[in-house]
Amino acid sequence: MPPPLNPQLEMVALDAFPLREPVSRRAYTCLRLRTRSGAAGYGECSRISPADLTALRAAIPGREASSFQSIRRGLTVSPSTLAALDMAMLDLLGKHTRAPVWQVLGGPTRNQARALARIEGDTDDAVVAAVGGARASGHKAFMIPVPQSTARNHSATLVTATRRRLDRVRAAAGDGSDFVLDAAGKLTPGDASSLASAFERMHLLWFDEPCLLSNLTAAYRIASENVTPVGFGRFAAEPGVFQDLLRGDGIDVLRPDVSLHGISQARRISALAETYYVAVAPFHEGGPIATAAALHLAASLPNFFIQQLPCPAADEDRRMRARLAGESLETVKDGFLQLPRGPGLGINVNETALNEYREREQ
Amino acid sequence: MNRRHFLTGAGGTVAAGQLAGTPVRRPPLSFCDCALQPQAAAPAGAGALADFGSKVRITNLKTFGVTIPGAPPDRPYVFVKLETDAGLVGWGEGTLEGKAGAVMACINDFREFLIGADPVPVEHHWQSMYVHSFYRAGPVMGSAISALDQALWDLRGKILGVPVYKLLGGPNDPEGVRGYYIANARTLDDLKRLRETARAQGITAFKGGLPSYYEWIETNQKISEAIAHVQMLREGLGPEIDIAVDFHAKTSPTVASVIIKELDPLQLLWVEEPCPPENVWAMAKIARRVTTPIATGERLVAAHGVRELVEQSVVDIIQTDTNHVGGITALWKVAAMANFSSISMAPHACEGPIGMLASLHVDASIPNFLIQECCGQAVPQTRDKVWEEWFGFPAMRMVNGKYPLPEKPGLGFDLSEDALKKYPFAGTRPMARVFHKDGSVAEW
Repeated sequence: MPPPLNPQLEMVALDAFPLREPVSRRAYTCLRLRTRSGAAGYGECSRISPADLTALRAAIPGREASSFQSIRRGLTVSPSTLAALDMAMLDLLGKHTRAPVWQVLGGPTRNQARALARIEGDTDDAVVAAVGGARASGHKAFMIPVPQSTARNHSATLVTATRRRLDRVRAAAGDGSDFVLDAAGKLTPGDASSLASAFERMHLLWFDEPCLLSNLTAAYRIASENVTPVGFGRFAAEPGVFQDLLRGDGIDVLRPDVSLHGISQARRISALAETYYVAVAPFHEGGPIATAAALHLAASLPNFFIQQLPCPAADEDRRMRARLAGESLETVKDGFLQLPRGPGLGINVNETALNEYREREQ
Repeated sequence: MNRRHFLTGAGGTVAAGQLAGTPVRRPPLSFCDCALQPQAAAPAGAGALADFGSKVRITNLKTFGVTIPGAPPDRPYVFVKLETDAGLVGWGEGTLEGKAGAVMACINDFREFLIGADPVPVEHHWQSMYVHSFYRAGPVMGSAISALDQALWDLRGKILGVPVYKLLGGPNDPEGVRGYYIANARTLDDLKRLRETARAQGITAFKGGLPSYYEWIETNQKISEAIAHVQMLREGLGPEIDIAVDFHAKTSPTVASVIIKELDPLQLLWVEEPCPPENVWAMAKIARRVTTPIATGERLVAAHGVRELVEQSVVDIIQTDTNHVGGITALWKVAAMANFSSISMAPHACEGPIGMLASLHVDASIPNFLIQECCGQAVPQTRDKVWEEWFGFPAMRMVNGKYPLPEKPGLGFDLSEDALKKYPFAGTRPMARVFHKDGSVAEW
């Protein structure tokens, strides 16, 4: 006979807190999972639909939080919703075993996690200023957007504008800085390949989302025509896309979104990448709970390279993130994030702040 | 930087000097003639994880060769026990047919990887054992890593206080893990009796084999006998029981294709190892020509060893063995990879009980699990009695067609060294060597 459910793990209640940063308007949702003994586990996703919330509430009764893998069977909710559930269940399992999630998952494989600052800005001046700010707050790796261009299929213009931007940010960031060039899937494959070729000897960390993934053959061609490493994945909800990119030699850096795949799915995707000697650098544009999840993921993977971190420009946004999950979590020192050391996700989610920042129905 | 620059750059003086026959100026810190030898005595990062993790430290590593009556002589069990300063111990298994001595020696080669280390970060230890062995793992090293990986998972579970399947996110089914036995039957009447036994016990699947050894092209008689044998399995066991047929790589792709074509109407659960494992394209050739699902993988090591099978979508079922593939860590990764291609997992297990129990924990948590082997029979054998004597419960005996999950922390059993002493190691024995009638070497 199966043993009775452990009240420390038995899931009994689930709540969602839609949150929005006041200035950036960045939106994410905190999922709170409670066990019979009263423990709370937290996860994060994008917006969660009422139907998904109902489906999750129907799925959890009679199960332990340790069944974070098995519970996915037959649960048809959005990938992001599953990701949040996965984080929250692992948080609870870690709290139950009094161990950080990275320990539950077989880590640590490293004692800190390299950080990548996502830089935003419409102009070179804005980008340079943001790089300066990020550098001052401890970052040493920066994801730089390709300049906006209306000259489609005019790669010479694009190369010139991008070179100007990269030269300026390189000077502003100083020695020991590294860069990811981010096209955000907005270039044509031809323009993307021209850019990748132009910067082959610039030793970028990689060129991110050079084109859309709607035609994988186009992606393979970019990687085959030059040695600039290419990253893909922020838009890939279906993990099979990573498998196709790997077997087609079309990817050098896997960028699964931690808020889309959760810890467990990202680990499975990373296991695949390991057999191709390909690194993993999770995409992350959400809130601080997902940052914690990403750090546990990083410390459990053998092939992790760097963790993207949102860099809100506004004080109010930074204050909100720090109040939700603690100041130290997203603090970068000499280019690295520190691993959370406490049990579970290792953060104390501030319930007062959750309610305060909760976005009410309009 | 091209190759020429490399030679004239970093190692330039050495290469040029050797070619010219002039005295060589050696790199100042090199320990040997290999210029790539790590230069620092205490490499950066060697102790970097010491403060991260549990306070438990591994204090001792012991290997055990165990020969029990009634088991095939080629596979005395190879067990490893890790002892810790917390009093907790971890057990693992690396039994490898015909190579018991080699695996025990290889396990001991890893002593300094683990003595003094925290047992919890199993991924780190796995990577270190695999990568720092340089040559990557074949079956001997794969089995040694498997044994140590299982022992580390046993300790991890005990330190964290939960059975391993909970650390892996299971269980899929709280009643246990679906399994199958070997159909030990020679005649149609034997099979009909076995069908009744299966009905009474709730057994849902059996595995059989082929009746002979096969050359790379075969005669009508041998082929017809093979087909008739499998037809008898289906007739005797009836339509409601799943039947897997293990070709054990006794056939060439050519002969396998001819035989399986005739087996397709029997709706087998799978045909296993229809040809040897080295050539993925040969396996693919068979799979392309027949509709019966093809299973393979028991001889493959690490997720790396399975990559091509998965990426080329060659087979329907992968059967890596937790005693050879690299333990729980590697079996889980293989399953993750296979799942992205919708390939099922039916882990192989035909050695001792520790690896099998370890396999159950993975089975209970992976989404693409199909069924677990144990090489047992519907009627308990000597080995089942010995295992029950060791563990105090009937390990790997099914209830209603499922192996119950061990519920204690870790792999879920206690084992004493004294219990093993009754079955001392009788030495390494080779696997059976079989030959065709003309004396040429045959596969079995």
